[in-house]
Amino acid sequence: MLKNLTRRTLMKGVAVSSLASALGGRSALAADDPLGITLVLPSPVGDVGWGHALAAGLEPVKAAYGDKVKVTVLENIAEGPDADRIMNKTVADGNKFLVAGSFGYQNGALQIARRDPSVTVLHASGFQVAPNFSPFAAKYFQGTYLLGMAAAALSKTGKLGSVSAFAIPELITSINAFTLGAQTVKPDIEVSVVWVNSWFDPAKEQEAAKALMAQGCDVIFSNAQDTPSVIAACEEAGVYAFNLNSSMKKYAPKTYLGCVATDWSPFFKASVDAHFAGTFKGANTFLGVADKVVEVVDWNPDIPAEMMTKIKEIEAKIADGSFSPFTGQITKADGSEGVAAGATLADGEIVAMDWHVKGVATPLPK
Amino acid sequence: MNAIDFILAGMLGAATPFLLAALGELVAERAGVLNLGVEGLMAFGAVLAFIIVYHGGGHFLGFVAAGLGSAVLSLVFAVVALGFRANQVATGLAIGILGQGLSALFGKTYESLTVKGLPKLAFPWLSEIPVLGSLFIQDIVVWLSLAATLALWGMFAYTKTGLVVRAVGENPKAAHAIGYSVTSVRVFAIAFGGAMAGFAGAYAAVVYTPLWADGMIAGRGWIAIALVVFGTWLTGRIFLGACLFGAVSLMGLAAQATGLDVPSQLLSSLPYLVTIIVLGIISADRRLLKLNGVASLGEPFER
Repeated sequence: MLKNLTRRTLMKGVAVSSLASALGGRSALAADDPLGITLVLPSPVGDVGWGHALAAGLEPVKAAYGDKVKVTVLENIAEGPDADRIMNKTVADGNKFLVAGSFGYQNGALQIARRDPSVTVLHASGFQVAPNFSPFAAKYFQGTYLLGMAAAALSKTGKLGSVSAFAIPELITSINAFTLGAQTVKPDIEVSVVWVNSWFDPAKEQEAAKALMAQGCDVIFSNAQDTPSVIAACEEAGVYAFNLNSSMKKYAPKTYLGCVATDWSPFFKASVDAHFAGTFKGANTFLGVADKVVEVVDWNPDIPAEMMTKIKEIEAKIADGSFSPFTGQITKADGSEGVAAGATLADGEIVAMDWHVKGVATPLPK
Repeated sequence: MNAIDFILAGMLGAATPFLLAALGELVAERAGVLNLGVEGLMAFGAVLAFIIVYHGGGHFLGFVAAGLGSAVLSLVFAVVALGFRANQVATGLAIGILGQGLSALFGKTYESLTVKGLPKLAFPWLSEIPVLGSLFIQDIVVWLSLAATLALWGMFAYTKTGLVVRAVGENPKAAHAIGYSVTSVRVFAIAFGGAMAGFAGAYAAVVYTPLWADGMIAGRGWIAIALVVFGTWLTGRIFLGACLFGAVSLMGLAAQATGLDVPSQLLSSLPYLVTIIVLGIISADRRLLKLNGVASLGEPFER
């Protein structure tokens, strides 16, 4: 009883004090105060990688709004209770625009959005939607398809490899499109995948790349690695390599095949505009070449010119929407039909893909 | 190059960070001190070495700085754990977290930069053997780590120093009674352990994966501590455990690359499973375990 009483009194005290701070703090939330934008990231912001790409995407927002926005980047925040606490704190501090930069932040970020409708949340790689909560993802597969074509043109062994983090749809689609692109050039080319089961372990990623090279893979796709571990190891071994998000050309001046770069600024800018205008509507945003979010850059000059022309043709078709890498007929790795002849997978089916296409030689972990 | 070559060539390199850190922890534990800060000490050594090498100081200086830096940090542990007789588990954890924090702080501006690794040196004659040859083409640090393993084994088996360290760990009161300074032996053991953890971190950051990324030690310090226990505080077994761990983790990756139909999650956990099982079998003899276990491990010494 005593305990209950104390807790209730305490709650009252909290309620009173938060009310007081809300009243007293009113001036702090006046219209001319800058909009606090917080970016929460699972990894450190380096010169390259996922975190770098997201942070760089906010730069044009800063440039456009100047004093009217205040951007805070919180890096190295582990997914789970710690992230929930930190996101709650930053919103409680008056930051009304939250970019949750990892799939694992989903539940905590969604709670925040539901509790406070004045907060706008953008969430990376998720699937939940709320009026003020938009998940966003990049159509990396559009870029990896093009790189698959280039890889097949350069491969001598007919074996391509991918060092991949976790077997989730986003990564699986990238590998599948890479394989399909390669098959347009060499129909019987094989792709081997090593799942390192970690978002972040540079040593293991490098070992995985070497294991693939030992199997004869002569082009390696560094799938969702934030450090240049794989790219640098490939340069040393004289093996072509490419990665996602931001260019790592400086780590492999000779053998860097290209980069499926992401530029989030059009999306971030539009979302912040909508937040200011009060017109933000949460929606599942899946952005690609056509949205200028995905773009392949730093093509290796070793790619034969005629292949490059072909790649550019396909790229233009992807951009104007007349071609999708996931257009049938596509056979699954187990031999069953993945996409019927003439059919094209819808975005909703692509984000839920849990099978490999034929040509991926390694099994998909369940 | 096939999968076997890949495992043989990479095994010792993969094992080296574990081996160096575990050898250091072995000496500390043999002297009766449980230092759980290895992970942080490795990270601290790693960032120091990386900074030195990045600015052109060379690998030798990088390793020296890593060893000294982590030894100094481990002396902070010594002051608290030995000087103030604080709980060694809590102190070790705190120092470990401090080391990781410091490494993140110092490494901030070096995030995802790279340096050049070290060349591989072929062991004359042995590297010519068919199949097994690639086992004998390693960088200098691997060779030095093997030498350090032998030296430590010899020290514990044959030298007075080794016996004094063991006596201090087994029965500090008796060691004290016959005139050895328990505290100074333990301080030296801790500093040695710190330096070795620093070397291990340096190897990870400037030789094995020559790049800096915050968090790149990724739990290797904890595995090193586990290896000491599973290796029942015997130098040879710790060496075997480290090699086994390195080999099995490479085997998992090689198996995946060849398309073996085994879940990758299982392959990823295989090194842990196999190492525990194998070392568990070796040390199934409980009498032997008791014999090798350090009697005063983790207990503060009161005169």
